[in-house]
Amino acid sequence: MSKTLVNRLSLAALALPGLMQPAQAERSEETYNTGFQYGHYEESGDRMKVDVFELSAAAPIGKAFTASLDLIRDTMSGASPVFNVRDADGQVRQQISGASIVDQRDVVNVGFSYAMESVTLGLTGGVSGENDYLSRYFGTNLSWDLSKSTTLSASASYAFDDVFPVGRTYRKSKFNQQYLLGVTQVIDKNSLLQSNMTFGYNQGFLSDPYKQVFVENAVGSSILDDVRPDKKFQWAWLTRYARHFKDLNRAALHADYRFYVDDWGVVSHMVETSWDQPIADDWQLTPRFRYYTQYEANFYSAIFDGATIGRYHSSDYRLAGFGTLGGGIKLSKNFIMSGLIKDIKLQAAFDYFDRKASYQLGGNDSGGFDDYSFYMVTASVNVKF
Amino acid sequence: MKSLSLKIIGIVCVLVTLSACTPVKPWERGNLALPQMALETDVHEAALRNHAFHSKEGSNGGYGGGGGGCGCN
Repeated sequence: MSKTLVNRLSLAALALPGLMQPAQAERSEETYNTGFQYGHYEESGDRMKVDVFELSAAAPIGKAFTASLDLIRDTMSGASPVFNVRDADGQVRQQISGASIVDQRDVVNVGFSYAMESVTLGLTGGVSGENDYLSRYFGTNLSWDLSKSTTLSASASYAFDDVFPVGRTYRKSKFNQQYLLGVTQVIDKNSLLQSNMTFGYNQGFLSDPYKQVFVENAVGSSILDDVRPDKKFQWAWLTRYARHFKDLNRAALHADYRFYVDDWGVVSHMVETSWDQPIADDWQLTPRFRYYTQYEANFYSAIFDGATIGRYHSSDYRLAGFGTLGGGIKLSKNFIMSGLIKDIKLQAAFDYFDRKASYQLGGNDSGGFDDYSFYMVTASVNVKF
Repeated sequence: MKSLSLKIIGIVCVLVTLSACTPVKPWERGNLALPQMALETDVHEAALRNHAFHSKEGSNGGYGGGGGGCGCN
């Protein structure tokens, strides 16, 4: 390893829980960081396509402060399911919106952190705007080294959202709050464990103005707007594990598991693993895998009838029972330098996912009328000065 | 009741894990400081992926706040 890299790893080691000495009591960024990321998301069947362009920058201010700025532009186009109908053969199929959706999402995020001897405080905020949606949000976070091996994390975040759907005259609001409590623990010299719990409470207009439901009655059928409760309580528990393998060219195994439950009846499990394999000359290859499964919301049905339609009703495929299975590969290359530019990192990744009703844990007999697949490509460059 | 049981199981699991930890000296922590050992090796890519998953799934959380909602279809 080069001397520069050894020096950098030593500095990174100092940033681990409990390692900072009082005389070196800073954990702010020590370099100016800038980055650009491009992402492309595309669903099968000529549905949604999204291009993402992101510029980011972070800068140290004095010994203890770090400021960051993040600008994102998403351009979306394509079609999306609106409701489900039963065809002449009695099979359920999706009614797609037609390739009429064209939108743009612009995001500005700012962040500010202050590092003290064993505590780091952060403030974040931002605005995200689309032609039919506006979100304003802010949050605060705390990281506290309880001992040489244990760090406690806590955060609170709040979002004030407005939706003003195209073709409608109303404007509706919702308020989301989320609280996190977590602990990161050094298990031994080769492994780390983090466990986070988040509690979320959403209130206001939580329905989707672009989704509808189909109701079959003995005397005919009707189409109603999607109507969801105006409150939702969410609980998520995420556990992350990382282990180093010195004998395998310093590879690292990452394994995450998340359990989620909310009072709409959705219960989900998510497992994600990756193997970060350094190859040579600061090249790294990372294969990764993700499985997600959820159980449907209490008020979800593919098609309703006079007996099943209630005050709350939705046929949104995102509230159905299903599973998503997939993964991909990420390739990165670091150029470590000693001049004005200290580090350049190039990265590219491709992931493919299959979303099927039959992948739901325990099975699902809905027939797979809402199955689809999607892929994501990302490419980025990051420069440190 | 089910939720309470799960919380209790969670707390017990964390406590058991913590009690199994081996003290690690500062000079033994080089492996943990490697970039590939960061719990989030690329925060911007992770945020993009999480946003995509969150937009298409009925659940979210665990990774902390930051970022607002969207009118995602």
